[in-house]
Amino acid sequence: MNGAQLRSVAAETLAGDAQKLRDAGGRIRFAYAWSPNSDEVEVRYLLALPNRRDFQMWTLKGDRGVPSLARIWPSLGWYEREMTDLYRVRFTDHPEPYPLVLRQGSSTQVNGYDFAERSASSGKAHLPAIDATDVQQLPFGPIRADVLESAEFTFFYVGEHIIHYQPSLFFKHRGMEKRFEGCRTDQAVIVAERVSGVGTVAHALAYCEAVERAAGCEAPVRARALRVLLAELERLYNHLHYLGHLCHTTTLKVGEAQGKLLEERAKQLNARLTGSRFLRSILVPGGLRRDLAPGTWLGEALEGLRVEFVAYVERLEASESHLDRLITTGPLSRRVAFDEGTTGPVERASGLDRDLRRDHPYAHYAELPLVVPILTEGDAYARERIRIAEVEAAFALCQRVLLLLEPGEVRAECAPGPLSEGLGWAEGPRGALFYAVHVGGDGRLARVKIKSPSFSNWRAFPFTVHESNMMDYAINEASFGLTVAGCDR
Amino acid sequence: MALWTLFGLTSGKATTPWPAGGSDGQDGVLGMPRYNPEACREGCGECAAVCPTHAIEARHNGLFVDYGRCVVCQLCTEACPTGAMEPSNDWALGVRDRDDLVWSNDARRSAAAQPSGRGAFHRSLHIRHVDAGSCNGCESELQGLNNPFYNLHRFGIFFTPSPRFADLLLVTGPVTHPMLEPLKAAYAGMPEPRWVMAVGTCAVSGGIPGGGYACGTGLEGVLPVDLYLPGCPPNPAAIIEALLMFLDRTPQRLRRGHVVG
Amino acid sequence: MLADQLLILSALLWVIAAIVALCQWTALSRVLLVAGALSGIVAAVFELPDPSQTIVLPFRLAGEAVTFRLEPEALWLLGFGLTPALFACALMSPSKLGTGGWLFGVALSLVGALGVFGLQNGAALLVAWETMSLGGAAMILSERIETYRGRTVLFMLALLEVGSVALLLAVAILGLGTGSLDFGQFVARAPFLTTATEAGVGLLLLVGFGAKLGLLPFYEWFPGAYGSGSGASGAILSGVVLNAAFFGLARGLMNWLPAAPENAFPLLSVIVIVVATISAILTILYAFQQDDWRQLLSLSSAENASIAVVVLGAAMLFRSYGLQELAGLAWTVALLHLAGHALAKGALFLTADGIQRSTATYAITASGAGSDWVFGVGSLIAAMSLAAMPPTAGFVSEWFVFQSVFQGFHLPNLGGRLVLALTGAGLALTVAVAFATFVKVIGISVLGREKNRPARIPRFYSAIVGFLGLAVLALGVGMPVWLSALDVATQAHFGSAVSREMHSGLLLVPLTAKFAFISPSLLVIVMPLLSLVPLGLILASRRLPVRRTRVWYGGLSADPTRASTTALTFSNAMRTFYSFVYRPTADTERDADVEGYFVKKLVFEHDVAPIFGPLLFQPAERIVDVMASKLRLLQSGYLNVYLGLIGLLLLVVLGLTLA
Repeated sequence: MNGAQLRSVAAETLAGDAQKLRDAGGRIRFAYAWSPNSDEVEVRYLLALPNRRDFQMWTLKGDRGVPSLARIWPSLGWYEREMTDLYRVRFTDHPEPYPLVLRQGSSTQVNGYDFAERSASSGKAHLPAIDATDVQQLPFGPIRADVLESAEFTFFYVGEHIIHYQPSLFFKHRGMEKRFEGCRTDQAVIVAERVSGVGTVAHALAYCEAVERAAGCEAPVRARALRVLLAELERLYNHLHYLGHLCHTTTLKVGEAQGKLLEERAKQLNARLTGSRFLRSILVPGGLRRDLAPGTWLGEALEGLRVEFVAYVERLEASESHLDRLITTGPLSRRVAFDEGTTGPVERASGLDRDLRRDHPYAHYAELPLVVPILTEGDAYARERIRIAEVEAAFALCQRVLLLLEPGEVRAECAPGPLSEGLGWAEGPRGALFYAVHVGGDGRLARVKIKSPSFSNWRAFPFTVHESNMMDYAINEASFGLTVAGCDR
Repeated sequence: MALWTLFGLTSGKATTPWPAGGSDGQDGVLGMPRYNPEACREGCGECAAVCPTHAIEARHNGLFVDYGRCVVCQLCTEACPTGAMEPSNDWALGVRDRDDLVWSNDARRSAAAQPSGRGAFHRSLHIRHVDAGSCNGCESELQGLNNPFYNLHRFGIFFTPSPRFADLLLVTGPVTHPMLEPLKAAYAGMPEPRWVMAVGTCAVSGGIPGGGYACGTGLEGVLPVDLYLPGCPPNPAAIIEALLMFLDRTPQRLRRGHVVG
Repeated sequence: MLADQLLILSALLWVIAAIVALCQWTALSRVLLVAGALSGIVAAVFELPDPSQTIVLPFRLAGEAVTFRLEPEALWLLGFGLTPALFACALMSPSKLGTGGWLFGVALSLVGALGVFGLQNGAALLVAWETMSLGGAAMILSERIETYRGRTVLFMLALLEVGSVALLLAVAILGLGTGSLDFGQFVARAPFLTTATEAGVGLLLLVGFGAKLGLLPFYEWFPGAYGSGSGASGAILSGVVLNAAFFGLARGLMNWLPAAPENAFPLLSVIVIVVATISAILTILYAFQQDDWRQLLSLSSAENASIAVVVLGAAMLFRSYGLQELAGLAWTVALLHLAGHALAKGALFLTADGIQRSTATYAITASGAGSDWVFGVGSLIAAMSLAAMPPTAGFVSEWFVFQSVFQGFHLPNLGGRLVLALTGAGLALTVAVAFATFVKVIGISVLGREKNRPARIPRFYSAIVGFLGLAVLALGVGMPVWLSALDVATQAHFGSAVSREMHSGLLLVPLTAKFAFISPSLLVIVMPLLSLVPLGLILASRRLPVRRTRVWYGGLSADPTRASTTALTFSNAMRTFYSFVYRPTADTERDADVEGYFVKKLVFEHDVAPIFGPLLFQPAERIVDVMASKLRLLQSGYLNVYLGLIGLLLLVVLGLTLA
């Protein structure tokens, strides 16, 4: 696979290899399954080794059972369940062998297999057994109050104190990975843009880089620089949205209004630059679909926005009631963050110093100075401060790109050959995003695997909610800043 | 807390006076392509080949263009050699009748709208939003409706937490299978009179994900829809325009695929 | 005359019932107990407002004749206490085991209570008192409902014995002073007691009767003992037995002890008021945290008894300043309070039994019992009475309690006024928590719906609970009439028929209508009239088309029982707010794989800590243990030690006889 070194492993030695990797300080980022042809299923694991810029990928035949690695790498628990649901791979000794993605009521015909044959659960998510008569069980959702995405949360609580919490996601599973299959590689970027609506650029960028690596081509310099500009503009409006939303949950009304207004200004800026408030319809494998003309107005507009933002942050940092609700709320320990594969501002607030832009540079990031903020407290306040620091870094990066932008080509020829594979990645606003692209014999896409940052972070979120209280729940969820669409795909 | 109060009071009004003048906030936003049949080359079909949602079909008597399926990806405008599919800023495309989204050369425009019976809700409408599997883009724009720039409350339109209080059910997303029952329960939980609005191309016709193994093709056949607003996603000004049109406070601008007014 | 014969008949029937129960002829025993209770009630109804005739019993105790006479207030309390007892005997304990023993215990309790009410001799009183306690223990032990009943009953008996010892001392001191154990003599000698004796005897009486009433620190046996028995046992223990204990305390403090002299500080009254107020607060706070019907109701009984003792203390305080009318008011109010309490508490204990018969548990969880509307309405009115809601009897007595306490401004000195003002504040707290407590127990258990297995309450329970609820309502509504039963009593104790001043036409007034008034009698007419408007709207809206849909939970249907408020959830906020009193504990144990990442099972435990247990009773236990281990030498098993002890004893005997 272009972008990752392939290495074939055997089922018998898999657990040992995983343990050795853990002891060496490496990390399994994600795992997926695909069918090279109609009879076979191959399972792949993407690894990152310490202090190495390239990735490694293990491949394994998945037709007979595969030993579950969830006991060594708890973050793989969900990936294995997803593979079982969609590709019928059997994982032996999995600690939570219950359906994750498909549930009763979903279409049962997936990949030519009648899911109904497998003994599905009752359609409700599996919950731990609770031995207590006076504990309330509240199923909250999937339709929640206010304009929010659909997901169901089950609270086991006594009045204020939450004893256990379990989110039940995948109500929004649209089967986007399958939607890619059979599409032309240059047009499928339209699909990638709409996997997660507020992560358009990150998804499109990761997809384009995967296809470019599969084709062995490279986007021109101007396109790469503009890609960085677009990615940072997307990070801007997303983080501004989450800062405003956080003020909403701490009922700081004017703070919420100002945060949302700044987000609106950023979106209007996007529209003026690209014609789309979400920066859609710009990226394509090989570069950009058309050139952008930032001129001087963009730099001035960004500077104006930055000045307003700095004043906003000063006011936030002086709002004691707001800070009181954030400090020590929802602490995520470093150990849990690492074991559950947390990513993005959430992991950086818990002391894990990782950022794809710096550790595995892509687009034009290798040429740009990057500041990666790190904190160790892991509470909601730390997550807010990380986002604030990333916004400031984004402003700096945008200005730098605008300064160094040279005229030039923005699109190169990019046609991946038949049966090629490519890995693309991007550090989106919510964390590390990966696309693994397999091109079929006819030159069209045969399999696309999307590893979204929200998928990883939703797994870690419950560990901050157990033994907390109901009043802090909304604040905690807002401080994580997760999307459900990205997780459910 | 004086700092926020003072700041709010000295900031002035950030709300745009639009639609009563002022900016609608959508400078430079590209909308759905305009179809100019006279510029279309016979037998070309490039746009139809490239459209990811089959919104354009090449037929013997010209193109069949369904704006209800358009995801505003601009691929057809790039593929068109003659300018028959022309990029435009038409994004205010809310309609009451699904057929108004399909381009028709028919000289007879659709009939003038009958009185809708929504007089009582003219200045007070409560909306319950249901996310039936959207990509979160529509939600982002809907959440933006309550920011100081658009300020939906000044129109007397509110989002409510429960369908019991709602007049309008606003649905986004192509209706994934697990969300079908909750969506129907939300509709059943609304007291009459009640209406349904499909926001976003996914809800109108399935959009990009529509028709896969995991979801349907929008609200058609699931709920009786009273208002369609395609777009991917429709921007907040388009949503406000569609809601005001629904309340008879502004005329419908799209008729049989032609933008009027 | 008729009344005396009926009373003797009651006593006889109960004694025979006791013997018959021991022979395991339970059906006959039950009939006899019910008949005896009925005759006791009829006696009370016929005899009031006059006291019963004096009967001289055919035996002598400690060389003295023993007389039996029921004062009007004793008849009042007996009548109201026997009503729930009658129904409890009719319905029997839900436990199928040990029926004979239970009936024996009931018979003992009833006979003992009758003795406490009527015997006019100190030694006889003590015998009756012990009989009553023993009866209670026998009831709970026989039922075999809980395996740990042995420990809780032992704890109860231990504390009751402390009370009995105090009573013994009190009677002995008074008897020494008068040279006789007859109560007539006690009353005659009362004005000659010194202040010190008065205070000492008063405290002993407070401890003695307080052990049964549930004053601090004695209320701590209540949840354990009541929680080991059934609702029927609770109805008897909280009805006639509690009333007997209160009667004994009231008679002792008001009749056997003099009013404090003019210029002396009324120490005893203040102590009574303060102790009772704090007891009321503590007991209701703990009652609110219980999640078992019996334990909650038992602590509520202790609270109501404490309130009655507060008002009794106020009566003592007024009397010591010569305000006889106010003293009479306060004294009567205590009687009213316990009357309403007996009926309502009996109704609720039988409600608990009814629910237990159909759901097999006494826990406060949703049972769907409210769907049986006779049962539901009856238990609701009883709960309303205990929560002091109009127009029930509990509302009347609680209102009168506050009115009596507010009259404190008549007291000449600041200290007294301050004490009563603070008491008013403390009582306000207890009323509020009591309201929440009964909302919790009725709201969750009776009104809570259980769609899977709605409780089907046996018809007799339904009818009886409904009847008792109506009785509570009738007591409140008809209070102007029932008050006349206490005319003779108040005349005798306070020089004027104070109970006649407490009502004016259909209004209830605290001696004068200018201060305040209420009228449940009018309310019971006005409230249904007011409800005609909403009823009319409901009937009119029947014409509108109705479309029913499921409750909105977010799109999926939840199990409403699992999602609804539990007993713990309802009281958890108070648990945190008053954590300095409760010192609560809550632990979650997780059974998880892989360092806690994959949770399979959760176990959640919670508890509140009692106050006097760790403070008083456990240290006392430890002292006894230590002493016992020291005295083990006596059981060392060495023959020589035993012989030596015998020798020592002989020497002591020799020395005593020679001296």
